[in-house]
Amino acid sequence: MCSKYWIVGLTLALAAAAQTPITKIDLPKDKDAPLTLVSYDSGESKVTPRGGAYLVDFHPTLSLRNSSSKRIRSVTLVVEASENTTGGKASVSVPSLDIAPGDTFPLHINQTLLCPAPGNPSVQVQLDGVLFEDLTFYGPDRLHLQHNMTVWELEARQDRKFFKNLLENSGAQALQNEMIESLARQAEIPQPNVQMARGRATTAESGQDMQFAFLHMPDSPLEITSGMAKISANEAGGPRFAVHNVSKRPVRHLEIGWILRDQDGREFLAASLPADLNLAPGQTGQVMEDASLRLTGRGSIQAMKGFVSSAEFGDGTYWIPSRAQLGDPALRGVVAPSPEEQRLSSIYRKKGLTALIEELKKF
Amino acid sequence: MSRHVPEADLALYITGDLSLWKNAAVTVHTAGCEACRQRLDSYRRSRLKLKQSAAELPVGEDWDRLAAEMTANIRVGLAAGECVAPRRTRTGIFVHRPMAMWASVAAGALVLIGAAFWLNLPASDADSLAHAARILVHGTAHTVGTTRGATEDRGPVVEASADGVALRENGVAVSIPEAASRPVAVTVSAPGSASARYVDADTGQMTITSVYVQ
Repeated sequence: MCSKYWIVGLTLALAAAAQTPITKIDLPKDKDAPLTLVSYDSGESKVTPRGGAYLVDFHPTLSLRNSSSKRIRSVTLVVEASENTTGGKASVSVPSLDIAPGDTFPLHINQTLLCPAPGNPSVQVQLDGVLFEDLTFYGPDRLHLQHNMTVWELEARQDRKFFKNLLENSGAQALQNEMIESLARQAEIPQPNVQMARGRATTAESGQDMQFAFLHMPDSPLEITSGMAKISANEAGGPRFAVHNVSKRPVRHLEIGWILRDQDGREFLAASLPADLNLAPGQTGQVMEDASLRLTGRGSIQAMKGFVSSAEFGDGTYWIPSRAQLGDPALRGVVAPSPEEQRLSSIYRKKGLTALIEELKKF
Repeated sequence: MSRHVPEADLALYITGDLSLWKNAAVTVHTAGCEACRQRLDSYRRSRLKLKQSAAELPVGEDWDRLAAEMTANIRVGLAAGECVAPRRTRTGIFVHRPMAMWASVAAGALVLIGAAFWLNLPASDADSLAHAARILVHGTAHTVGTTRGATEDRGPVVEASADGVALRENGVAVSIPEAASRPVAVTVSAPGSASARYVDADTGQMTITSVYVQ
C-alpha cells in the first residue's frame, strides 16, 4: 500500500518536473486598455517540485502592442503564481520606453516563483500600470509603483535633456567624456548587501537610538528636521523622521533615501522609505516604518544619513533632485544614476557614440 | 568456511585471551565448522581434566618452575606456529573478506557522489537542504547561515546584493529574478520589496524586476 503511494507520488513529481506552468496573460479588455497581447513564447519556463510546493522558473517573452492613442513611456506587469504564498508574487517594470500608438514591443520576464501544491502550477500575468508620455497613468497600481514609474520618466527627461544640451553646446567629444565618466562612476558605486524585514524590528527593545544626519537639497519641498532608528550592531530598526513642508503646496507622498556607513567606512544607499502623507505648506509630520534593515555581510552600522529623493505634490506634480544636486560629493559616490542614464551609457558601451547620438535624437 | 581456526587461536579462545574481533570470528566459525567445534570441545575437555588433575597434585610440587616451563612451551609453540603459517599481507584483509572490500568501495563512491551532488546543486536548493538538515538535527527552524541567509529565523525578508535581489524565508531563497547578466543597480524598499535593474545586452532595454515580502 505504501509503495503504491510512492509510485503515485513519483509519477506526479515526474509529470510536474516535465511540464511548463499553465500561464494566463490577463490584460484589460476595456475600451481604454492600452496594451494588447500579440504573441507569447514560454521560452524555457519549467516547473520543479520542491517539498510541498512547485518552483516555477518563468522565462517567457511577450510581444505587446500599444493599443492606446498615446505614446507609452513605462509598463509594469504583476507576475503571480500565488497571491497568498510567500514568494508567489513579483513584478517586471520597463521604463524609458517610447512606444508609439499601434507599435509593438517585446517584454522579457525572468523570474523564479513559488507555487503551492497540490494543484496545477500556474502563473498569472496582469497589467499593473502604464505611464504615458503626458504622465497620465492607466492601471490598478496594486503595487503602488505609479510614483516610481513617474519619477523614472522625469529623471529620464532630465538626463536626456542634459546629454542633448551637452552634445549641442560642447560636441560629441564632451558627450563621450560624460559617458566614460558615468560608466566609471557606476562601476565604483558600492552595491548594498542588506536584508529588509517587515514588522519585526528586533532591535526595538534592545538597540540604542542613532540619529540620522541629513543632506539638504536647496529646492526640495520637504526638509527632514530629525530622524533616528534603533541600532543593534548590524541591524537598524523602526526608522522615524520628522518632515517639514517648506513649499507653498501640499505634499502627499515622499521618498527618503537611507544611506548607511559600515565599520570599514564604506557608504552606500541601503534602502528607500516611501511614505504617504498629507502635509500642508508649513506643516510638520512624522514618517515611521515598522521595518528593520540588516547588513548581511560582516560589519556593523556606524552612521546613517537621510535625504529626500522625491516628492509628490497634492496636485499630482512631482519634485525630483536636479543633476547638480545629485552631483553633490555626498551623493555622487553613493546614489546610482537614473535607469535612463544607465540605459544610455550601456548603449554607448555596447554600440558606440554614433548609436548613442541616434538614440538621443529619438526623443 | 574453507580455512580452519589455528590451534593457538582455539587455545586462547578457551581461556578468553583472544582479542574481541578474533573472539567473535572464532565463535562464528566454530558455529558452522564441525571439525573446529570438535577440536574446541576436545581442548575444553582437556582443560577440565587438567584442572581436576591439578586439584589432585601432591603438595610440595615446585609450581613456579612448572608454570615457567609451561609458559616457555606455549611460547615455543606459538613461535613455531608463526614460522609455518602463511604470511599475511595488508591486502589480505580484502582477499579473505570480500564484503569489507565492497563496503569500502561503496563508502568511497558515496562520498564522491555526495560531494559532486553538493557542488553541482543550485545555491537555493543547497540552502533548502542545509536548512532541512538543521531542522532535523536541532529540531528547530533556526538557521546558522551568514551572508547567504538570515542569521536567525526572521520570516520572509527581501535581500539585495551585487548579485541581485531575492526573497528569503528562514534563510531559504523562494523568489529570485534571474538574468544572464548582473544587475546594474539594486535597491530595497521599506514596505518590503527589493528591485534589480538589468539592461538587455541586445536591445539595450532596461528592465526592473522586483520581489515582495507579500
